[in-house]
Amino acid sequence: MTVQEHLSRFEAVAKDPAGQLKGHLAQGRKVVLTAPVYTPEEIIYAMGLVPMGAWGGDMELRRSKEYFPAFLCSIVQSIVELGMAGAYEGASAIVIPSLCDSLKVLGQNWKYAVPSIPFIPMTWPQNRTPDYARDFILAGYERLIRDLEAATGAVFEEERLEEAIRVYNDHDRAMRELAKVLAAHPEVSAAQRSAVFKSAWFMDKAEHTAWVTELLAALREAVVGPKKLPVVTTGVLADAPGITALLDEYGFTVAADDVAAESRQYRTDTPEGGAPLERLARKFQAMDCCSVLYDPQKRQVEHIVRLAKDSGAKAVVMLLTKFCDPEEFDAPLIKKACDAAGLPMVQIEVDRQMVNYGQARTMLETLRDTLTA
Amino acid sequence: MSEEIKKHRPPPDPNSAKYKLGQIAAKAYSDAQAAKDRGEPVGWCASNFPVEIPETLGLAVVYPENQAAGIAARGGGARLCEISEADGYSNDICAYARISLAYAKIKDAPEQNVPMPDFVLCCNNICNCMIKWYENLSRELNIPLIMIDIPFNPDYEVSDGELAYVKAQFWDAIHQLEALTGKKWSDERYREVMEYSGRTSRAWLAATACARYEPSPFNGFDLLNHMAVMVTARGKKEAAEAMETLLKEYEDNHEKGVSTFRAEEKYRIMFEGIACWPWLRVTSTGLKSRGINMVTTIYADAFGFIYKDFDDMCRAYCRVPNAINLELSRDKRIKLCRDNHVEGLLVHTNRSCKLWSGFMAEMSRQIGQACDIPVVSFDGDQADPRNFSEAQYDTRVQGLMEIMEARKEAM
Ligand code: SF4
Ligand code: SF4
Repeated sequence: MTVQEHLSRFEAVAKDPAGQLKGHLAQGRKVVLTAPVYTPEEIIYAMGLVPMGAWGGDMELRRSKEYFPAFLCSIVQSIVELGMAGAYEGASAIVIPSLCDSLKVLGQNWKYAVPSIPFIPMTWPQNRTPDYARDFILAGYERLIRDLEAATGAVFEEERLEEAIRVYNDHDRAMRELAKVLAAHPEVSAAQRSAVFKSAWFMDKAEHTAWVTELLAALREAVVGPKKLPVVTTGVLADAPGITALLDEYGFTVAADDVAAESRQYRTDTPEGGAPLERLARKFQAMDCCSVLYDPQKRQVEHIVRLAKDSGAKAVVMLLTKFCDPEEFDAPLIKKACDAAGLPMVQIEVDRQMVNYGQARTMLETLRDTLTA
Repeated sequence: MSEEIKKHRPPPDPNSAKYKLGQIAAKAYSDAQAAKDRGEPVGWCASNFPVEIPETLGLAVVYPENQAAGIAARGGGARLCEISEADGYSNDICAYARISLAYAKIKDAPEQNVPMPDFVLCCNNICNCMIKWYENLSRELNIPLIMIDIPFNPDYEVSDGELAYVKAQFWDAIHQLEALTGKKWSDERYREVMEYSGRTSRAWLAATACARYEPSPFNGFDLLNHMAVMVTARGKKEAAEAMETLLKEYEDNHEKGVSTFRAEEKYRIMFEGIACWPWLRVTSTGLKSRGINMVTTIYADAFGFIYKDFDDMCRAYCRVPNAINLELSRDKRIKLCRDNHVEGLLVHTNRSCKLWSGFMAEMSRQIGQACDIPVVSFDGDQADPRNFSEAQYDTRVQGLMEIMEARKEAM
């Protein structure tokens, strides 16, 4: 297969989560939805269930308004919209973590908006590094497992978690490698890159790793395309077709990303040593540099500047999800740090109902002109 | 014009609860300033951070949310919000946070000044927005941040796991503060604070429960003013005494058949949400002019900080509004509606507060059904005056009144 053929496979999956859901069910597997931003997918996977990401969709909001006021982010709104429209029917449960205020209320609304799919909370500690936080994470896992067993009839066995952790660590590594390799392949478009990352949410991770590995092999053989303008993307989501199309149109390539639905997922592996559940808890404790994780030193700010420098990016493109508190609080600090580092930054407000990309177009056009002047 | 009215007002009675409570609230600020002037470290503290900790340690703190409410009520909300917005903060962010971050930058607001902090105390039991806000304060002012994470509880009861996690953090915070300020924790002093807090809380619960009388001996808007003391000073002796005075006044009012609601009480409603501080007069008059008394709010329940020991105190902080699930939130409100013979629910859909407004639609539907009362909502904001429309408020309140009226006639 050529690189382009590989990429089309990913694109087909990314465009059709409903088809993926059907496919898993047809194979006799049970599906558990996972809401943003972090859920212990390894536990779900270890129980023989397929975790599928539910980050909403680009669509008009109608019925979600019965639950949410207009000023909550379009991610939680469209998750409920899709749920009410029956798009997730067949899934056995949804796991929603408590990482931001909008996610907290998503869980509460879900119970009444989509009663056919049980809500399972995952309450993470924000003060996550002390030892006592680990006990709290473990208590959260216990509760999660109990609820998953009740919702799906599947059974949790800790030995099988060992294997799931291996699958996920392998996937993390493959995705990190992919991000690095893609930075050197500007002929892979922003839209295609986004599809590879997005498809990971809908596939069995072992299978996704296999596909990514094959893509990496194909890339190694491929002719590198002409240079483009390397940028770092940051935000919650970067999958809006209108945005990736503009990045491509103006000649940008994603040198690295700090996107919650993309590379933030793959930065931290589960460490070795100890009982599997405890290892998994230590993974969460080790996570960092993300707007929904308590960050008293604001390491996230420096992280973005460093990421840009290390990846050779010439600018930072912040895709700020409208009404996303966590990101909106970080934005001014990131801007300041980029300014101080002499790194151009554009801030583009995005949501899942975007039809007008005029402002984004102007900003990216101006950025291109600045970088090529 | 208001100057003229003020001139003709009789001087406040220094023995009245209103006067005492006002003094306590004002003294909280002047005490903190005095501490600062003496060279002692001063903190900025989240409203639902366990006040027992700074109180027991003898640390002066001020409350940015209170300050922001004060600034907003005195007309400075838009000015400070715009300063933050010019710095890149989205106007979608909670207006209290925008005001506070602006103040941290300009360090002066004649509406309500506070001493600049040497540390900040954050507790996210009311929202995670708080975490982000305090992280930024800590970074911009380059001062330590002490954080107690009290997760949103998806369950009805507080689990042992949550309690253990929260308790460990309380001690962690105490030890961090001891190291930072040189002050020492004293169990004896803590017991004293716990006792006063219990006394204040009991009086508050009993005073707010006087709304069960018909007519109610008080205007519910009073509670919004007295709340500041419950938030910031409930562990102080003076607060306990002032609240007990308030209770006595309400009981006396009832005996005498008078009320601080200075109109005929035709309808009794529950108000849901934070007050619209910049539009306090408008929102209050819109009700009073129609004979609608807001007899209760969740604040009546929220400040019942009565606990028997340290564990129990930790549990109480896990059960503040905004930390509890829809069902427990709903049931607390249903109880208030029933106990106080509420005939309608007026919901403030507060643009600033995603958590509070986020499941309000479903919760108020359930309350309306359970109590068989009409529910009407309006759009507003607790501190950004730009997010409120007087005309919409008026129409909605009129609508609520008409339903209540029709129901009375049908009875
Ligand atoms: S986009 Fe932001 S506000 Fe919305 S769920 Fe994600 S982190 Fe929360
Ligand atoms: S108004 Fe809401 S978002 Fe703002 S500080 Fe209070 S609880 Fe948090």
